[in-house]
Amino acid sequence: MNLNSNGYVLAFATGMCVVVSAVLASLYTNLKPTQDAAAEFDRQKNVMIAAGLCEPADKRSRAELEKLYQERVQEFVVDTVDGKVLGDKAPKDVADLNKAAEKADKKQASRYRVVATTRQEGKVESYVLPISGKGLWSTLYGYLALGADKNTVRGITFYKHGETPGLGGEVENLEWTAQWQGKTIRDAAGALVSVTVKKGKVDPAVAKEKAHYVDGLSGATITCNGVNTFVKKDLQAFAAYLEKN
Amino acid sequence: MTTTATPPAGGKTLFGKDEKKAILDPLWDNNPIALQVLGICSALAVTTRLDKAIVMGIGVTFVTAMANVLISLLRNFIPQKIRIIVQLVVVSGVVIVFDQLLRAYMYDLSKQLSVFVGLIITNCIVMGRLEAYAMQNPPWRSFLDGIGNGLGYAWILVIVGAVRELLGAGKLFGAQIVPQSFYDAGYVNNGLMVLAPGAFILLGVIVWVQRGISGYTEK
Repeated sequence: MNLNSNGYVLAFATGMCVVVSAVLASLYTNLKPTQDAAAEFDRQKNVMIAAGLCEPADKRSRAELEKLYQERVQEFVVDTVDGKVLGDKAPKDVADLNKAAEKADKKQASRYRVVATTRQEGKVESYVLPISGKGLWSTLYGYLALGADKNTVRGITFYKHGETPGLGGEVENLEWTAQWQGKTIRDAAGALVSVTVKKGKVDPAVAKEKAHYVDGLSGATITCNGVNTFVKKDLQAFAAYLEKN
Repeated sequence: MTTTATPPAGGKTLFGKDEKKAILDPLWDNNPIALQVLGICSALAVTTRLDKAIVMGIGVTFVTAMANVLISLLRNFIPQKIRIIVQLVVVSGVVIVFDQLLRAYMYDLSKQLSVFVGLIITNCIVMGRLEAYAMQNPPWRSFLDGIGNGLGYAWILVIVGAVRELLGAGKLFGAQIVPQSFYDAGYVNNGLMVLAPGAFILLGVIVWVQRGISGYTEK
């Protein structure tokens, strides 16, 4: 057989593509449930990291952490317009609710959101709010946890993003996320000021910076601007809920 | 072909001279990083921690070995005109398999390695071995060659990863090694080691030492 005839080249290329696609497609289909479960566990873990219940490199096993999640974390759907908790809806319904809301009014595509609280002896210990928005290349997804006073930040995590590793990807840097802890989202008068990523270093001598600012990430200005924008926007969205509950 | 476990009648053994050379050469005398200076990009990027370096080493070993075997099996059927693209498709396929397995069973690490797993496709070592070895050699020997080159890459990555994590963060595998008393006495982690220039310097030193011992000189 002539290995260099055009017909053979075409047949070989086509056959190879079909075989490789079939192999990859079946692998993907078979692994999908395991991958989804791993991603869901990662999300739950990040809720707990933001709330301070566990650490990113936690020594406890996956089963133990899942049990901890079951015991301490409640997730529920919140209507961000009136701040009410929809007790009869489960977190998985939120996509359908938003679709219906978007049909009625285009601006309300993310009217319903899933909030988590962690409790200690029946009392709410922290409010874990989902935050998400555009950075430079991608949408970042994370959690911002507030303490029982609904003002002090307990922690922040980002669990999904496509920013450049080493630059925007440093939003995952633990030394940086640790700076968020103890910052306050409201000023002395109670107005919402959010927490802002500064360009450069925070000056601890300035009271406003000490309370509401964290250090910038060098080389990641656009990612940081994105974080500033969506953290503030999301905190505003949850203001009604935090006031009522 | 000597793909079976028993030595065939032709007098060839499972680990003959050629087979030994295929697996041992890339570990030292013809090391892909130290001698050929290939695969440097990922060697710099994923060596901030030892566990990342090990998984990346395993990944490249897996990919080179599997791709070598597949290309070697197909080598008599691949049309010359499209051989590079065929190699690329095989490499991409194997890398995607590795990436999907990581995502399913080692989610945390796959997140940390992020784009670098996908970038194994562009690692010159993989394509280089396919073109230079697997296209001319039988599957078993190609498999050994792939393992040898993967390990030759991996052991250097592991050394760089261990030194960088130890000096840069005072840890190994994420566990604190340098005791707190050192820090109290004024010891400071070397920030350079966390950054790419630290890896460059280390890699340069390793290449220098390796060439000093093996006596290799540029012709």
